[in-house]
Amino acid sequence: MTESLLAVRGLSKHFVSGNETVPVIEKLSFTLGQGQSLALTGRSGSGKSTLLNLLCGLELPDAGTIVLHDRVFEAGGAAARRTVTAWSTLRRQHIGVVFQEANLMPALSLLENVQFRAQLAGRDPANSEDWLTRLGIGELAQRYPDQVSGGQRQRAALAMVFAMEPALILADEPTGSLDRHTSDEVARVLFDLQARHGCSLILGTHDAELAAGCQQRLDLGHLNAV
Amino acid sequence: MKGLPSLFSPTFPALFLPRALLSHYRRHPLQLLALAAMIVIATMLWTGMNHLTSQARASLDQSERAVAQRQQVVRDDGRALVVEDFVSLRLAGVCVMPWLEVTPETGSRLVGIDPLAAHCFGAGTGASQALDQPLDGKPFVDVHAAASISARDSHLYLLTPETTQTTGLPGGYYLKTFSASPDTGELGDSFVLNLEALGVLVLLITALLLRSVYLLGLAQRRDSFALLHRFGVPPGRVQRWLALEILALSLVSVVPGVWLGRWLAAGLGSGFGEALDGLFDIPLYAGQGQGWITPVLVMLAVVVIACLGDLLLLRFRERFSLPLPARAALAIALLAAGLAMAWLAPSLPWVFIAVALVFAGAGWLTPAAIAHLALWRAGRSKAPLARWRFRELAVLVRRLTLPLVALQFALAMVLAVQALVTTFEDTFDRWLGQRLEAAYYIEVPSRTDGHKAAAWLTGQQASAPGLQWHRVIRGKAQLADAENPGGPQVDVLAVAPVGSLVRAWALLEAAVQPWGALASGEGVMINEQLARRQNLGVGDSVQLTLGAQPRALPVLGVYPDYGRPVGEVLLNAATLPDNFDVRFESLSVTPGELGITQVTSALEQIWGVNELSLRDNGTIRELATGVFDQTFALTRAMTLLTLILAASALLMMGWVFFSARAWYFRLLVVWGMQQREVAGQLLRLALLVTGGIAVLALPLGIWLTWVLVHRINPLAFGWSLPMAVYPVFWLELAVLNLAIGLSIAALMRRQLGRPVVAPVSASALMGGER
Repeated sequence: MTESLLAVRGLSKHFVSGNETVPVIEKLSFTLGQGQSLALTGRSGSGKSTLLNLLCGLELPDAGTIVLHDRVFEAGGAAARRTVTAWSTLRRQHIGVVFQEANLMPALSLLENVQFRAQLAGRDPANSEDWLTRLGIGELAQRYPDQVSGGQRQRAALAMVFAMEPALILADEPTGSLDRHTSDEVARVLFDLQARHGCSLILGTHDAELAAGCQQRLDLGHLNAV
Repeated sequence: MKGLPSLFSPTFPALFLPRALLSHYRRHPLQLLALAAMIVIATMLWTGMNHLTSQARASLDQSERAVAQRQQVVRDDGRALVVEDFVSLRLAGVCVMPWLEVTPETGSRLVGIDPLAAHCFGAGTGASQALDQPLDGKPFVDVHAAASISARDSHLYLLTPETTQTTGLPGGYYLKTFSASPDTGELGDSFVLNLEALGVLVLLITALLLRSVYLLGLAQRRDSFALLHRFGVPPGRVQRWLALEILALSLVSVVPGVWLGRWLAAGLGSGFGEALDGLFDIPLYAGQGQGWITPVLVMLAVVVIACLGDLLLLRFRERFSLPLPARAALAIALLAAGLAMAWLAPSLPWVFIAVALVFAGAGWLTPAAIAHLALWRAGRSKAPLARWRFRELAVLVRRLTLPLVALQFALAMVLAVQALVTTFEDTFDRWLGQRLEAAYYIEVPSRTDGHKAAAWLTGQQASAPGLQWHRVIRGKAQLADAENPGGPQVDVLAVAPVGSLVRAWALLEAAVQPWGALASGEGVMINEQLARRQNLGVGDSVQLTLGAQPRALPVLGVYPDYGRPVGEVLLNAATLPDNFDVRFESLSVTPGELGITQVTSALEQIWGVNELSLRDNGTIRELATGVFDQTFALTRAMTLLTLILAASALLMMGWVFFSARAWYFRLLVVWGMQQREVAGQLLRLALLVTGGIAVLALPLGIWLTWVLVHRINPLAFGWSLPMAVYPVFWLELAVLNLAIGLSIAALMRRQLGRPVVAPVSASALMGGER
């Protein structure tokens, strides 16, 4: 029995569109153990990105509780400001987020990006080049994001995430903009490193093959019909 | 492909392409509005400035033509002329033209003239040309209209041509030079020239702003153009439609802009007119500014060049595009050449070319220099956040090049105008104070004896505390040297005694105890114009022919003499030879306890006249100060408007830039920075940009001030203004820039709070460039 890293209880999120309230996540509950991986699947608009945003505090839920890394975040708490600060600290030190595109600062080289993220997390940036090498793009360390391919950019984004030694990786369609071959390669590296370093992973994807790489699967399309 | 309809086949609507192009503005109406507003405001600003300048220029020309032949008939007894004098002179066959100056209870000075009498000056001469025009407004009105106005002051002059001789006049009259008020025509010229130079700068700044807004719009439409290209529309066709689009928008926007500019000029015109009238003796004619065609065409040309220059010069640019180091070298070369040329320029056109070169070099170099500096700082930063911030700064500066350069030029211009205007104010205030040191100025009537009046005033000196006076004699002298015995004529200003009324004059250059030496008749002082033209300084000797007697006199001092075109020599009147041809004589008197009434009564008795020509210098000074304030407030207002326009453009561009870049700022939040920390980074970036521009605008502004006062004025008019800098104003500008930076940061902070969509590519279009 693995120790629980994340516990979600009765999580709900609505958006207001004009006069209408649109529920995106409703009374969602699940847990994720340390080192485990979970695929969030569902069609576009099913709430995968919203849930990922809720799980790293970029958006706050309307109802429910999130327990992450022994910290409890209740919806609608009076100390909203403290909650935001606590989420910021968690994201800075323990949560790595990977988006489909534009994960890197365009004005910094790949190496500088990795160093930046590591230093923000309070980790030693000296290993940054190593991480790039482990991800197979060591020779591109001095290049800028616009000087490398989409797949290489995503590898750099993963190097950035692993360099901060996260407890949890949230990846939102990390291979969505890549061709099949590159996508497979990036996915292989992601699962391999995640397993080797024992961090947990939540992966939002509509790609069934990618989702199959995760240990658990949560179909939001099935749960929420938006 | 066979089944695929071409865009230009009948299956597509005829106006498919323009509709496709305009669809961008349907989705972004504010962008269209911003572009149109920018054209309207730019046109308004330039037209307003230009209208005022051209109005002043036209008025100056006409005024000069109207009074070109300055000769008037005056009464022997010193009394003011009345209609009976006009009648008796005409009956005696003397051709005279009435010139009735009226100061109404409210409003500015009017001049009543009789167009029928203008023939005195002969057809085709300057005066008749000036007066042939319909008398439909201020300040020239028909003499009857002027006479019927309720006035607080009026004065009739009777002008007569140069051909009229004193012998031809009936008894009781003599001829005198016509000078309705102090002749400061060159000062007016100088002011108008400076206004014109600033007008050109305003045009340049507005062109830069227009270009920046237009290019921004184009960048946001690049995807649409690419799509049209993929649909098979040739790029040339898109470009032609774009040219048509901007031309149409310009036409629609320029016309109201010109109208607003004229409205602005008309609103400011009355105050400006009064100021010019009072200050420089330039009556402002109604409706004398440029018409509609010129400003419309100029602004259309500016819009076309600013917005479509790329299309027009595309081939040229492709052929001659330079790599970055070469561009930097070229910019430095332009800057260096401009600076050297401004220093050494022998004539005005070269100075203007030098200014253009320096502005081109500075405009090219400034953003590159800031970006380079930022990259250098980034390279030396160990802290990743600082490194990122400096790299972002470099991107920001490169992306906002045009509005930043426009802001730099506007700041430099405002700085130069402020320094120029304040220097004008300070200098002329001091200069007027010196020239009008005495409380009253009294003309010595013709055919009377100034010596007797001087003797009486000398006699009063012991018993009347506070009495200060001197006698002023004006005439001409011939300047000569060994190589050129028949040198130019110079004005002679002779005063006696050389007392406290002149000893307070500021001197540009002086020997030891110059006033004592002048009082002892040991030499002369010369005005700046003469010093510059003859290359004379203290210790040199001037060869003067006063009367028939040539004399070599050492130069004891050089005094500033603003607004006069000719060289002048100041000497002790006691040293004038007896045969010196006195052209004009007056007394400057501060009566002290004696009182002015007692002085005038005594002088009337001594000279045997019923009325004296008396001027209250205090009132003149007060009036001059008032009109200075008004004139300069207007100039400041126009330049500040330009600055506000530049700041607004930067604000708009900054907002668009950050909108495109917002994702990356949001990324910092994702990486665990708090919103207020990111907002702090935004603030630092915005302040670094605006602060950097303000710092780089400072030397440019100081240099421009130097060029205006030390190069343009001396080359154009022979005299310079003192160079002064005003650090308090720099601080004010720095605060203004700070406010611009804070506004940008505040707008961006709002952006941070909104949901941001990740860019779909790392292309420049989406804000992902480095």
